[in-house]
Amino acid sequence: MEEKLNLRDLYRMVKKHLVMIVAITIVAMVISGVVSKFAITPIYQSSTQILVNQADSENIFDVNVVKSNLELINTYSVIMKSPLILEKVIKELDLNRDFEVLYEQVAVSSQEDSQVVVISVEDENQETAANIANSITKVFESEIKKVMKVDNVNVLYPAMVKPNPEPIKPQPALNVVVAGLAGLFLGIGIAFTRDYFDNTIKTEADIENKLGLPALGSITTINETGITSTVAQMKTKKKDVGGKMSGS
Amino acid sequence: MVHKKHNEQRSHKLVTHLNPKSPISEQYRTIRTNIHFTSINETMQTYMVTSPMSGEGKTTTITNLGVVMAQQEKKVLIVDADTRKPSVHYSFQRHNTKGLTNVLTSQLSLRGAVISTAVPNLDILTSGPIPPNPSELLASPQMEQLLKEACRHYDIVLVDTPPVLIVSDAQIMANRCHGSILVVNSGKTELDSANQAKEALVHAKAKLLGVVLNRKNKRRDKTFYYYGPQ
Repeated sequence: MEEKLNLRDLYRMVKKHLVMIVAITIVAMVISGVVSKFAITPIYQSSTQILVNQADSENIFDVNVVKSNLELINTYSVIMKSPLILEKVIKELDLNRDFEVLYEQVAVSSQEDSQVVVISVEDENQETAANIANSITKVFESEIKKVMKVDNVNVLYPAMVKPNPEPIKPQPALNVVVAGLAGLFLGIGIAFTRDYFDNTIKTEADIENKLGLPALGSITTINETGITSTVAQMKTKKKDVGGKMSGS
Repeated sequence: MVHKKHNEQRSHKLVTHLNPKSPISEQYRTIRTNIHFTSINETMQTYMVTSPMSGEGKTTTITNLGVVMAQQEKKVLIVDADTRKPSVHYSFQRHNTKGLTNVLTSQLSLRGAVISTAVPNLDILTSGPIPPNPSELLASPQMEQLLKEACRHYDIVLVDTPPVLIVSDAQIMANRCHGSILVVNSGKTELDSANQAKEALVHAKAKLLGVVLNRKNKRRDKTFYYYGPQ
């Protein structure tokens, strides 16, 4: 019954541990901000858009053809990410990395059920990302003729190097917000736990209600300034009674 | 941390004497008044102060209470019956070369062993040399004699004792004093140990006057203590 939690208890508990909760939140935000700003290498994304059509198709506006083309996009994306293409890209660009590494950097998707295929490449260097994306397009264009007898790859939008690229990750602002929320919940969680396991006497009400004894009064904590002034006065008093001191 | 604790234990802040107008001194006077109220119907001269565990502020409480009682023109004697870990003499910056144990072993008279302090009307009886058998000494008939004699010379006798949950000394003294006062430390003393201490004192047939809440956080001190029927 005492464990029952109501809003007022929650408020009281948060208020009591407010300093700790705020501190944890701020520390989490600062750490995540610093880490995403300085510790994580920024990753840039570059993408190219291409349109793929089957050349032998008589009527490319036939609904069924469009549909089958859409289904083919899945095939294309697998092909684009296959060693057949990527190994050639590595060779062409003289990249110093394995196929597996490059595979993770490349994402192929179709845009909104269209026949447009987007090749996105993430890299620490924006120029490299753009080069890889363009190279994949080029190699795909030449290879797909042999593989699928398609010779109609149109580049709609080649990957370009922007003058002031914004890294796609990390996103410091987002990270800070997420860390802040995580810190807030962690703080409240710790406050809850501490409150739950804290079985100490705190107020006169505790003495009277939980201990069942009359409270004679309470002495507040003597703060630091109080101690120092007390010590200073103690020293002067000591001089006053110096004679008696040595005698006793 | 260690250093701080050491300091606290040694100085015991005699704030009521050094700064009688401070709010803390006023809090001690409130406790004095409340003790007076609880013993209004009977003549109470000897009060024992103890706490469940060590380091909860027994000596700070007893010395400051002694001071505010002496400030009422009453002759007060503080007896340090904590022979295992005496500390009353530190508060008054005295030496503990002779004291309670000397009187109990008939080496000294009570009058020869008490020491006057810088506070008018306030004398102290330090613990004296640490004996091998503190509990037996406190339980001896000599202790009863000593308390009786002290009551003849002083209006109020305050007895500082070891923590009640650690050794039996406090229980022995509780049985011999008119009233017992329990000191608990806000945010540190567990409710369980306070309850055990209460049981131990009740078991020793002590008249438990009440509890002093020590080191209460100032921020929590927003509600005033209300004395009397709620």
